[in-house]
Amino acid sequence: MYLKELTELSGVSGYEKKVRDFIKEKIRDKVDFIEEDLIGNLIAMKKGRTDKKLLLCAHMDEVGFMVSNIEDDGKLSIIPLGGIDTRSIIGKKVIVGEKEIPGIIGFKAIHLQRDEIYDPPKMESIKVDIGVTKKTEAESKVKIGDFVAFSVESINHGSWFSGKALDDRGGCSILIDIIENGIDLYYETYFVFSVQEELGLRGAGVSAERINPDLAIVIETTTSGDNPEFPSDRRSTELGKGPAITFAHSGYVVDERLFRWIIDVARENNIPYQIKRRTVGGTDARRIATTLAGIPSAVISIPARYIHSPMSIINLDDYDNTLKLVSILLTKEARL
Amino acid sequence: MIITDVLRSLSSADGPSGYEYRVIHLVEEEAKKFPNVFVDIDQLGNLIVKREGQGKKIALFAHTDEIGFLLTKKESNNYWRFTTIGGIDPKAIISQRIKVYTRDGSLAWGVVGMLEPHLQTEETRKKVPSLDDLFLDIIDGQDKVNIGDIGVFSTEPFLLSERYFTGKALDNRVSCVTLLYTLELLNNFIPKAESYFVFNIREEDGSPGAKTVAYRLKPDLAIVLDVTHGDVPVPSMPKVELGKGPALGIGPVIDYSYFEKLKSLAESISVSYQMEPLGARSGTDTDIIQITRGGIPTLLISLPLRYMHTPYEVVNIRDIEETARLLSYFIARGGE
Amino acid sequence: MKDLIRKLTEVNSPSGRESKIREVILNELRNFIDGYEIDKLGNLIVWKNGRSDKKVLLDAHIDEIGVVSSFIDDKGFIRIEAIGGISAYNLIGSRIVFPDSGIEGVVGIEGETPQDVQKNLKELNFDKIFVDIGAKNREEAERLVPIGTFGVYSAGFIDLGKRIISKAMDDRIGCAVLIETIKMSNPYYKLYGAFSVQEEMGLVGASVVAFNIKPDFAVALDVTAWSDTPKGYKRMSIELGKGPAIKIKDNASISDRSIVEKLRSIAEKNSIPYQIEILIFGGTDAAAIQRTSAGIPSGTLSIPCRYVHSPHEMIDIEDAENAVKLLKALVEEEE
Repeated sequence: MYLKELTELSGVSGYEKKVRDFIKEKIRDKVDFIEEDLIGNLIAMKKGRTDKKLLLCAHMDEVGFMVSNIEDDGKLSIIPLGGIDTRSIIGKKVIVGEKEIPGIIGFKAIHLQRDEIYDPPKMESIKVDIGVTKKTEAESKVKIGDFVAFSVESINHGSWFSGKALDDRGGCSILIDIIENGIDLYYETYFVFSVQEELGLRGAGVSAERINPDLAIVIETTTSGDNPEFPSDRRSTELGKGPAITFAHSGYVVDERLFRWIIDVARENNIPYQIKRRTVGGTDARRIATTLAGIPSAVISIPARYIHSPMSIINLDDYDNTLKLVSILLTKEARL
Repeated sequence: MIITDVLRSLSSADGPSGYEYRVIHLVEEEAKKFPNVFVDIDQLGNLIVKREGQGKKIALFAHTDEIGFLLTKKESNNYWRFTTIGGIDPKAIISQRIKVYTRDGSLAWGVVGMLEPHLQTEETRKKVPSLDDLFLDIIDGQDKVNIGDIGVFSTEPFLLSERYFTGKALDNRVSCVTLLYTLELLNNFIPKAESYFVFNIREEDGSPGAKTVAYRLKPDLAIVLDVTHGDVPVPSMPKVELGKGPALGIGPVIDYSYFEKLKSLAESISVSYQMEPLGARSGTDTDIIQITRGGIPTLLISLPLRYMHTPYEVVNIRDIEETARLLSYFIARGGE
Repeated sequence: MKDLIRKLTEVNSPSGRESKIREVILNELRNFIDGYEIDKLGNLIVWKNGRSDKKVLLDAHIDEIGVVSSFIDDKGFIRIEAIGGISAYNLIGSRIVFPDSGIEGVVGIEGETPQDVQKNLKELNFDKIFVDIGAKNREEAERLVPIGTFGVYSAGFIDLGKRIISKAMDDRIGCAVLIETIKMSNPYYKLYGAFSVQEEMGLVGASVVAFNIKPDFAVALDVTAWSDTPKGYKRMSIELGKGPAIKIKDNASISDRSIVEKLRSIAEKNSIPYQIEILIFGGTDAAAIQRTSAGIPSGTLSIPCRYVHSPHEMIDIEDAENAVKLLKALVEEEE
């Protein structure tokens, strides 16, 4: 399990290099084939008992920002890459660009605010402070187009885990575990660590097009809503109740045969699972399903709290059960 | 070629999305004047001009379509309801003369009207009318028009001052002219790249034109030419000014290594350039080309333009010359 | 043709659960085609050989909008999520059937005071409604309608003579037109009929349906909105009974000019009534087919339909019959 290492790396959408390099290093000797495609997806393959192909996908990118302008006072203007709520980013530490220049997102003190205290800050009013006072000084450290990523130490609290970017480094970690554990794979299995998911499911379809698999399973980290502010009947998932299996989400009803197969396998093996109840949001499955002549796809997720913010939480039993479920699935032939 | 002449002729040509054929034929005629080119119009109506050369396959894209109008319903007398092709600000069309192409090929003329302000209430006078409140008053050719007929702005292009040119549809005919001028400049070189100058259709209709040509060509590099807002301050963004050279797009949809190569080439041949941070998407054909057919490295070069999607857009001739100079060197050197 | 429409609309097959309707359509066509295939996403593709090697693809989607159960409370009330563009307003007072078990239920609305109910009605969404299947408790409801069970409107077929009403007219009427066209035509082109899945989820099936066929051109068959009711859409001019509508544009795509002209001139030559359609919202499978691989010229022929996405969608049978005539002429006519 590489949750801590993976979540502490920065890999904002479009700038996934560090995450990709880390994963490549970990798995390169344990797979039969590895390559990086033209837009940065990392594809690794392990042979199976048959030459039928399965694509297992997790996305490497996380939500973040890019530097859009360097102002005269040396502050950095930023624009979001992926869906971020400006209410959750004030008072956070960030790093900027390949050189990992540290910065903070400060904000006008409460004493100086008037009626705007309860107004969500506008993106234009969010600036990154890298401790310089002149534009020229800033330009010697950062440039327009550099990424801005949250900088958060991840902590393993025993059965809970907190940190940034669990969406979807959780999925990445599961894929690496599966590669390392040396499972008796039924399919020739393609492990795709995809880019730009948070920018509209852009990366995975490109890989699916190159591989043309018989089916695909997307491993995600998904929202829960299991908190006192939200009634239980509207929650999407709940932490500690096992991997979440999706029947449909925005833009795609999951292949019915795969949906039922996954549930049956979980039941037969006494692995706790839950059905993901809300259909909002999408995953790479939509893009993969509509690639080439069509690729049946399914989604299995680790439930998480506060995703797309600088601090998210998962339950490690859910992680283990997701790993267990996916590992068993991969030894079998899917019902198609 | 004389840039302003070609620009005048292309701006005067009418071609809303799906109805670009007049523009396509004009460009085809211009392109045929150059040596070492092969022209082809594909099944959807995209024009592809191949320029011979040895080396990488580089495709350059400029969309040929413009915004326009569609008659949707006949009201009493000669009044018609209409909708738009592409996003048009209702404020920019009130009291504009519109040219309508009828099915038999003849022209009809109309004026976009709203209820005179004198007759409006205090309340509605404060509001901008929506398309539902406007109508087209067909005063010439009313017996020939039909539902489904296409309309365009009727503005005549002209040279506003020595370097500033104005007219309709400069989004994106200015890029078409730039590509033609690049073809001309390429005659000074023996290019180290096989280049394809693509004059594609339907950018304002969700980019099916660019996507399908990119699929067919599968180039090693795609360079999209489009326009960007110039001489208007945008919060958190660097200034983009007319006459200061092409704006080079930067962000997740851009290939970084090619971006660096293009930038350093611009510096070494003294082409002044500007920066355009794009955020998650560029809103141009670039977005779809990048994820077509296994992934295609992409660059976006934007020409600064004032008053986008209004009847009088403004560009600077120097930006055309400088962009074409940069592109011709870039292609001549094989994308280095 | 009415019998066929009735048969098709009475099948309950929401997006992602299309196996029943696919089977019904295949059985209907089995003796009239030269071959068929069910692709990896579940699209049914049939073909009929022609005198030419050129290929035409006609597409109709077989799914309908629906709902899916997402939560069951202690008393056995069921919460639902939307499958496709189904409005909570249309669900109020409607019946829902869950075809897996055949269980029916009615849709209710929350509200602890009359004012509450009024407010909820004003700002209605799926958080404020539930399905009541008359279950005693959670256990019974879970047995009958487990979480993840798909449902559709329970609403019958009504024959008013020239006009007919049913649920799922979107797009079983397109399926009926396509079936009739295949049965009746002696095509010049090699004719492909695509009965595609998950259109209501965002053109899922149609995105891949043309990939292997690579037709020379394609026409999607779908319903379109109307403007001939009191205070109907003022910028549109579609009327029931004035003929099938040749689409110029909707929100998702602009039809290929050559296909618009081809359909128009065939209609005129054969004296088939038609209308010209510009839809100021919405989209059809043509948008997805058009951008498949290196591009396929595509257009849409629409059947005008009132109250689209409600349990009671109304069409004029003559529009459907004229659509068949027009398409028959399209596929039979040599270029």
